[in-house]
Amino acid sequence: MKFYKDHYDVIVIGGALAGLSAALMLADKGKDVLVLERHNLPGGIATSFVRGGIEIEAALHEMMSIGSKDHRLKVGKFFDDMGVDIDWLKVPEAYHASLPGLEVTLHPGLETFAREVDAAVPGTYDKVLAVLNLCHTVFDSVNELSIHPASKPQMLLKHEAFVKTAGYSTQEVLDTFDLPQKALDLLAPYWIYVGTGFRELPFTIYSVLMADYVGYGSYIPHKFSHEMSLKMAERAEAMGVQIEYRQHVDKILVKDGKAYGVRTARGDEIHADYVISSAYPNSVYTHMIEPESEVPAKAIKMVNGRRLSLTAFSVILILDKSAEELGIKDYSVFRGNTMDTNACYEELKGLGPYRYITCICHNLANPDATPKGTCSYSITTLPRVDGWKTVSADDYDRVKHEVARQLIDYMSEYLGVNLLDHVLECVIETPMTIAHYTGMWNGCIYGYAHTMEDHIVARLQTADAEHFIDHLEFSGAHQISGDGMGPAVTNGRKAAKNVLDTMAKEGK
Amino acid sequence: MKVQGFFKDVGGASRVAKARLAAFENASPVPVTNDPIGDVARTWHPGKLDLVVTDVRPASKTTTTVRFERPDGQKLPPFYAGQFMVIDFPIGESLISRPYSISSAPYQARLDEHAFVEISVRRSKGDGFICDYINDHVKVGDAFRGMIGCGQFYYEPLRDAKHVVALAGGVGITPFASMAREVAHGTLDMDLTILFGSVTSDDIALKDELDQLKSDKLRIVHVLSGDEPDWQGERGFLTAELIRKYSAPDTTYFICGPQVMYKFLREELKKLDIPRRRVRFEVFGQAKDITAFEGYPQDVKDKTFNLTVVRGVHEDVIPAKATESLVVALERAGIRIETGCRSGECGFCRTKVLSGSVYICPEGDGRRAADKDFGYVHACAAYPTSDVKIKIPIE
Repeated sequence: MKFYKDHYDVIVIGGALAGLSAALMLADKGKDVLVLERHNLPGGIATSFVRGGIEIEAALHEMMSIGSKDHRLKVGKFFDDMGVDIDWLKVPEAYHASLPGLEVTLHPGLETFAREVDAAVPGTYDKVLAVLNLCHTVFDSVNELSIHPASKPQMLLKHEAFVKTAGYSTQEVLDTFDLPQKALDLLAPYWIYVGTGFRELPFTIYSVLMADYVGYGSYIPHKFSHEMSLKMAERAEAMGVQIEYRQHVDKILVKDGKAYGVRTARGDEIHADYVISSAYPNSVYTHMIEPESEVPAKAIKMVNGRRLSLTAFSVILILDKSAEELGIKDYSVFRGNTMDTNACYEELKGLGPYRYITCICHNLANPDATPKGTCSYSITTLPRVDGWKTVSADDYDRVKHEVARQLIDYMSEYLGVNLLDHVLECVIETPMTIAHYTGMWNGCIYGYAHTMEDHIVARLQTADAEHFIDHLEFSGAHQISGDGMGPAVTNGRKAAKNVLDTMAKEGK
Repeated sequence: MKVQGFFKDVGGASRVAKARLAAFENASPVPVTNDPIGDVARTWHPGKLDLVVTDVRPASKTTTTVRFERPDGQKLPPFYAGQFMVIDFPIGESLISRPYSISSAPYQARLDEHAFVEISVRRSKGDGFICDYINDHVKVGDAFRGMIGCGQFYYEPLRDAKHVVALAGGVGITPFASMAREVAHGTLDMDLTILFGSVTSDDIALKDELDQLKSDKLRIVHVLSGDEPDWQGERGFLTAELIRKYSAPDTTYFICGPQVMYKFLREELKKLDIPRRRVRFEVFGQAKDITAFEGYPQDVKDKTFNLTVVRGVHEDVIPAKATESLVVALERAGIRIETGCRSGECGFCRTKVLSGSVYICPEGDGRRAADKDFGYVHACAAYPTSDVKIKIPIE
């Protein structure tokens, strides 16, 4: 029985946001695309599941780069352009920061945000706005340069702020503003969405993060992130893309330095001119390339020279009272015992207690997220993979429950309500859960840690030298734009663009 | 703005690129292949495993216990007491899957030698040919494939009360047998009272095996509904009154048994005014008679439709009876589809309906909202009401 065509233009391994974005863009250019996804639905961790009749968001806290209907940002615009029509709900606030000596809710809009920081830490308005404006200028340059690369003199003329800050960490740049510690603390909570402490985090990454989230706010799909993933998949299929679920790709076939197809776990050998892999380079270069002799030594050194970034641990509770009845006021809360991001990053190495955490009460952005009289409350920490690598299969359940319990107690204390008295459903998602459903290397969802030598500015400059096998592209958090669901879309588009550019060069 | 001086500032971008190339140059050339987090995930969820039957013994007059081990003697995956396993049965040209609650304990799946799992299956009254197949034909040495550790019917300490009352009917004892063994072994920390309804005293499944486990943490109360003058224990059905008698002030109720018992207990539990979060039903099972559900279009019930099945670029057309789920039609035609709970909840058999109409069993509809919008169904709980075209994964 024949389930596949003899040949495709492109095979995309992985039907999550990056892979589907690549597929959409390629289909839009008339290419014949096959997407192979190991799970039985699209989206990877951008998905939902049903427990006890209640649908529960699996991962998405807030989506960046969407923008309002009248002012779409790049990801929102891409969805519009591709005909992926998502019912976006705006998240009401940026976040509530619960830090030692600070209980402050901040809203999006650069001036609004600066004004609210000033209300909490008087006399800081001008400087905070200057930080945010600098971030916005760098953000504009990054967006512009990712589409239209510029020469060095042009860079300095048109993108001065970007050029001048590109070589510095967030800490180095923020230090030059001479802000009081409390104001700096209120500018820090989002750090966890990019996942390295400010001593290491490139200012460019911080800028993009702040300008996008604070400048324009964030969005979630009405019917959970599965709405987004499914609409992307449905649209891709309508455009002629073949998507096959429950197909695990074991091998990428390479001959004379050029990829020409894949082999699935079920034994199908499928041929294509190009392969785009959402699997980590670590997986690909250590056990997916067939024959092994086609793995370049430099590729191994490249993956060994990088540090895996964060994974995720979430306890998702469906509670038997409404948010109002439980006194939950904010959609998004960042809580920490310190806002020293370097110390927080250190703590994420272990297995807890985790004290820098992020909580989402879904109902406060999406009132019909759960049935009336209930609410959804998720508590998330984003640990480094290091600690979780030491957990054995037989110890896994104990560790998972201990960490979950610690997080529930930590937020019960904050809310003044014993959450354990209200649990209708309790789902614990761990790095192992992620590895199980997505196959991601060591359950890592953030790709490689953003450091000075490993972030968009460095990655873009050396991209050509890191292209080891012809006609094999990568898409996912491990690529140039890094982690996050918005960047996943951008990473997928970039992989598709690389394929299209090569096709054009080779006259196809 | 100026950070550290013009030349240092503008040289930043090339500085980071150089640092990057240097880091790669200095990195080890030895491939690092270990993925310990993935390994734990694969240990818990290895997918379908090869299993061999190592013991078959009666669990009552009408119930048989079957023990499975791995042919290579390796440990089986960890699971939670109360979960089920899915077993593939090769019947003729077809491969038919069934979910069965695991009646052995999780610790027994992790023994160093002869790790095993067991199921206990009651002979049917004519409507479950796999149940009869197990009782009549399965023997030591038979080989099957099975997936261990499915479903949500297990004790969750962060959600459930410490005191659990299990309401079991007939062979619905199996998930509680697993819990009881794990409690007796000291590896599941809860106080378990099992109210176990059977018809006659000579047909209580797993009676001897379970009664010997009793302790101050594990009570087993047999309740007989049949007419037996000499019976000293509890009689009748699992009524509100009986349930109240064995409840602690804060109790979680787990319920597993035949579909008629679910209907009865829903009413009884209402009388006790129990908070919603304290009641947990095991999945309903395949509907016995789909035409009895509200809204079922009676005019199609005697019809057989054409079911077009798309797998990749391949298409088949097979017959599908209106009163049988899409999964049953596929299995009858020898087309593989992955299934789990076979109750509409778990979504293993998520299927896209490309055209035509289906009736969805309203009991335990576990579909996602967006899936409903795009015509996705759980094929085990979807019944054709016209000619239908579906797309399913290639197995």
